[in-house]
Order: sequence, then structure tokens, then C-alpha cells
Amino acid sequence: MSRSILDVTDLRKHYSQRRGLVSMLTGEGRVIPAVDGVSFYLRENETVGLVGESGCGKTTIGRTVLRLTDPSSGRIVFDGRDITNLSRAELRPLRRQMQMIFQDLDAGLNPKMRVRDILREALTVHERPSDAEIASRIRELREQVNLKDSKLANFPSELSGGEKRRVGIARVLAVRPRLIVADEPTSALDVSIQAQVVNLLRDLQKNLGLTYLFISHDLPVVELVSQKVAVMYLGRIVEMGLAENIAHQPRHPYTVILWSSLADKQNTEVSLFARGDAAAGRERRTWGVFDFEQPVSGCRFAPRCPLYRDKGRPAVCTDPASEPQLRDVGHGHVVACHFA
Amino acid sequence: MDAPLLAIENLRTYFYSRAKQAFIRSVDGVSLDVERGETLGIVGESGSGKSVTALSAAGLVTAGPGVISGRIDLHSSGARRNLLDGLERFVRVKEQEGRVMAVEKDERGWRRHAETLMEGVRGKEIAMIFQNPRSALNPYSTIGKQLVETIRLHTNFKGESEAKERAIHWLERVRIDSPGLRFDDFPFGLSGGMCQRAMLAMALSAEPSLLIADEPTTGLDATIQSRIVDLLAELKAETAVATILISHDISVIQRLSDRVAVMYGGTVVETGRVGEVLAPGVKVRHPYTAALLASIPNAETIRRKSYLQAIEGEVLDTINVPRGCRFYGRCNRVTEAIRDGCAGLEPPLGEVAPGHKVRCWLYPAAQESSA
Repeated sequence: MSRSILDVTDLRKHYSQRRGLVSMLTGEGRVIPAVDGVSFYLRENETVGLVGESGCGKTTIGRTVLRLTDPSSGRIVFDGRDITNLSRAELRPLRRQMQMIFQDLDAGLNPKMRVRDILREALTVHERPSDAEIASRIRELREQVNLKDSKLANFPSELSGGEKRRVGIARVLAVRPRLIVADEPTSALDVSIQAQVVNLLRDLQKNLGLTYLFISHDLPVVELVSQKVAVMYLGRIVEMGLAENIAHQPRHPYTVILWSSLADKQNTEVSLFARGDAAAGRERRTWGVFDFEQPVSGCRFAPRCPLYRDKGRPAVCTDPASEPQLRDVGHGHVVACHFA
Repeated sequence: MDAPLLAIENLRTYFYSRAKQAFIRSVDGVSLDVERGETLGIVGESGSGKSVTALSAAGLVTAGPGVISGRIDLHSSGARRNLLDGLERFVRVKEQEGRVMAVEKDERGWRRHAETLMEGVRGKEIAMIFQNPRSALNPYSTIGKQLVETIRLHTNFKGESEAKERAIHWLERVRIDSPGLRFDDFPFGLSGGMCQRAMLAMALSAEPSLLIADEPTTGLDATIQSRIVDLLAELKAETAVATILISHDISVIQRLSDRVAVMYGGTVVETGRVGEVLAPGVKVRHPYTAALLASIPNAETIRRKSYLQAIEGEVLDTINVPRGCRFYGRCNRVTEAIRDGCAGLEPPLGEVAPGHKVRCWLYPAAQESSA
């Protein structure tokens, strides 16, 4: 079994929001727990998928484990070294080992530089290679991401979405990272291009031994590329396990809903409502949006949880003293629910 | 048989790029019908022309020296109207040896005439909802106020109080909880899903005969998406409004459409009933449709963790449109027997089965209809 490259323990990131003059003066404000006690690890050469609705804290986790955002508390261990409190200078040599692919295709692509110069810049950030070395590395990178030679002379604005994504990946690869946080790497791309990029990322992982934290809301793609999947809800991981178990034997009611919403959309049958199943239709309608403004007491999913309703609103679900913790239900599959 | 509600015939919508001195041929000869009460799904990648087709029908193509030709016939309220009638008067294209040298467009005349054509059509007969509902709502006005405005303008509920009653009725129909309270909410107080519902209420409150839904679920969360899809399915059953549904999400198209048109590079490459075009295991289909379906992870690819069948190359550049089939450069089904045709001549949309048309030289129907 390969060793873990990233170990995250009880990570928290709280943003404070101050509204108006009074709260600014008194220093009082609401605290928004974007990430609220998250633990997981990544083994070398493994992909862990991170899924959940927007606002649940996926991207914040990605940014925090790379120390692009400072955590409020918790511990981040990268390759055996605690990086939670390293200074910027101390982090600098580690930066090349951990990189991020951003959702925005233009992120990191200076619009006034040609592709060749963008790659040259990335190659010379940490090292001072000779011109000949730079030329051969650029060729290597270009081949690794299947970019046409002629594109090196182009500006980013002259590239298609797929090409921009390839350049973005090449730029990240230039520093020879070991861990890549891929934040929605395909969601800005066309369907036919998405498949190319997914294949490319998998190839690179195989050839270069990369480790991915793969953040996406595209559930089939996550299931395809990941060995393990973590499902987040409102700043916490509510279920984590092998990808096929999460997709096909989910235990947490939220995971069930998430994956069934995918099946619903694909369902060519008439909807529940149209079949006259009015109760089910109503239930669907009441599915609101989660809200950080509601104080959490007990299980944070309870207000939307069908299981909670079916069980007759048991007190344990809303007991502030007993927020459900992740527990093992076998095969490393963990779930945070009193009843799952 | 009744004439279709909307008949688009040989629609061309070009935009002129001054920088490149050439036309961007966004929509390049599209013919489509929408029957009363049916949902026509248009699926394609970005740049395939699906949105521009719909925008043309709603008279919303305003950009610079754009050119529209063809016919868009709307049959409603007992009358037939060509929504592009007479617009060609305002544009002059100077060509030399097939190359566009200059475009002269009387922009003001064009716009004034287009507005006359759209009078009583846009918003009333043809309503639209867009991908980003929040930006389509007026941020300075409550959703109730905006709804009342639409209702008083387009329906017979002219009085303030009856229009308000009607507005609440529509908020209820798009399943907004406590519509009486939401009536006074501003768009920023609503979530993305809720905004889309409000947009839908506004579009439908004019009781249009055609609804154009342009990527109605894109950008929403997975769980919210499926709720909007449910809602659209329910409203379709309840109101029987004809719909053009545009999406790149094949699962949404599959779920909601009766018929589907697959677009590529500004043309329709395949059209037919949704079961014939997008169902798994269909033998006869356009190579692009087949490749598009294969590039999405399905149960089998996920189980075997196999590679996705990517479509190589890039989405067609609609400035330099090739002479032959637009998909030729990326197609994996070109055989020696048809290669000359694929490279040299654009195949026609040939009928391979009743109501099922494919634009591909692989099928004899295409060869017959060109002969």
C-alpha cells in the first residue's frame, strides 16, 4: 500500500462576515464556517473525488490544503511534514510539489504573453535552467498535454477552451508537482472536449505518478476518475468511501439524494408528480437551499433530510450535543448519520 | 394537418468580424419545425449555433453588422407572420470571388423594422428563459412587480389587484413556497433555482404559444437542476405550451423533449424523435451524435474504469467552414467509399426513417436526396 502524501486532520476555515457600522465597531459579526472540521488523507498516485453542492466548501478545502488560504485551525501534513503553520518563505520550495488547476480556463494565463513564454515563465520560477533545457522541457510539456506545436506562438485569446485547458495543465506540470488539486477542471469545457481532458488527466496520473484531489460536481466523471469519493455538506464530509460504494450503495441520505438527482434527470419516464404521486412532488418542492444563517444544532442535514422526517423527527438529530460523527460501516466506508 | 406553430426555413444568421474580414457563420441554413404543444430539444456544443437559432426566432440578434436570411413563420392567433419579413432590405453585402469585401448595414433601419416585426410577438407569443436568471431579472424591482407588469402588458388582467392575484397564481404554479411573501422579494434575495422559477413564472404568465428555454438548468446545482427539470416536465403537462429547449446536457434533453435536433457547426446534423436519436443502441445515427453520446461516462465505462471515447480535434471554426461535411475532420466513420463525398460536398439532411433525418454520406438517403 502506498503511503499517504496528504493528511488533513480536523481542518476548519471560518470566514467572519461583518455587516454594517455597528458590528464593525464592536467587532461582532457572523462567523461562516466554510469548512468545519474535515479530515481525510490522500495516498500517493491516488485520486480522491470531492463532491457537493456549490457553497459546501469544496473549493475552500482545495485552497486551504495547498495553503493558498490559511486555515482557521486543524492540521495539514504534506509528505510527512506539517505545513499548517509554515511561513510563505518556508512554503515556497514546497509550492512546486503541490499545484492547483483552476476552474477558470484563463486563470494563470497572462493574456499578454505567448504560450511559449507562459511555459518558459513556469519553468524558470523555481529553477534557472539553460535555454537548451527550457526548449526541450517546453517540447516535452507540449507533448505531454497533446498541444500542437503551432500553438506555442499564440496568445491565450487565440486558443480554444480545450487548448487553454491544456496550456493550463502544462503550466502546472512545468514545476513537476506530485499533488494536484483539480478544481472543476472540466466544467467550463464542451462535452466533447471534457472527455479529452478527463483522459489526459488520467494519462498524466499514470505516467507521472500524480496524486489528485478532484473537485467536481459532475458525478459520473468523479466516479470514473476517483478511487475514493468524499461527499460534503455544509462544510463537513458526511460520507466517504470507495467510489463505487458511494455511487451505488450510498448510506447517507444526502448522498442518496445527490446521486438520485442525477438519475432523475436522466430518467425518461414521467416524473413522480406527473404520475399523480402528489406527496412526492410536494416533498421535492420543499427541498430548499441550505443556509449558513440557520444555526446548526445537531445534524446539519436534518432540516432537509427525508430520513429525519420519515423517522418522526427523532430528538437525537437536532440535539446540539450530538452532531453525528463519521463512523466506519465497513471497507473504510465512513458515514456521518445516526440512522444510516 | 395544421401548419406547425413555428417553421424555421433555411435560416442563416451571420455575424461579420471586421478584424478577420469574414463572416462568422453561426447559423448556416437551419430548417426546423415546432408543432403545437411539443418540446423540441436542440443539443450541441458551444458555437454550434443552437442559441443563435433561438435568438433569431425571438428577434434578439442585434449584434453589429449581423445578417439574417431565410424565413421564420409563426402561425398563431389565426395569422401567419414571417418574423424576418423584409429585413434583407437593410443589408448589402459586397462580394468578390466568393470573398466578402464589405458589409453595409443600415443598423437603425434594421433595428426599427425588427422591432415592428416583433411587436406583439416577443414576450407575448414567444417568451424566453435564459441560463442566468438573475441577470434577466430587474435587480431594482421586486419579482411581484415585474410579474404584474408582464401580466398587465400581455394579458387581459389589466387591473392592479387582479394582476397581482394572477401573479401569485403563477408563483404558485412554478412551486414557489409562500408566494404571497415571495411576491415582495427582490431577485438578490432569491437563490438561483428560485430566480429561475420566477423567470419561468414571468415567461408563462403572458400565456405564450412558444417558450424558448435556453440552458435553463446550466449553472445550477445538481439537486436544484433536477428540480427545475421536474418543474418543466410538470408545466409541460399542465400548460401544453410548445417549447424549444436548448441544452448541452443530453440528459435534460432526453428527459423533456419530444423531438430533438442535434446541431454542429451551424447546421442541423440529425433530427428526429428523441427515442430514435438519443436512445442507447440505435444503429442509424450521425457519427457526431454517436460520438457525443459515447464521450459521456456511462455505467459501463465507469465500471471498467475505461477511457472515455473523446472526439478528437476542436469544435468547428465557423469562419472557415470546410467545403465538405462539417464534421469530416473529426469523424471516425469515414470509409473509402464515401471519403470523396465527405471531403468535397456537404451532405444533405436525408430521411433515414419517417421523421428521422441524418446529414451524413453513410446513409443512402443522403445520396438519394442529393441526386
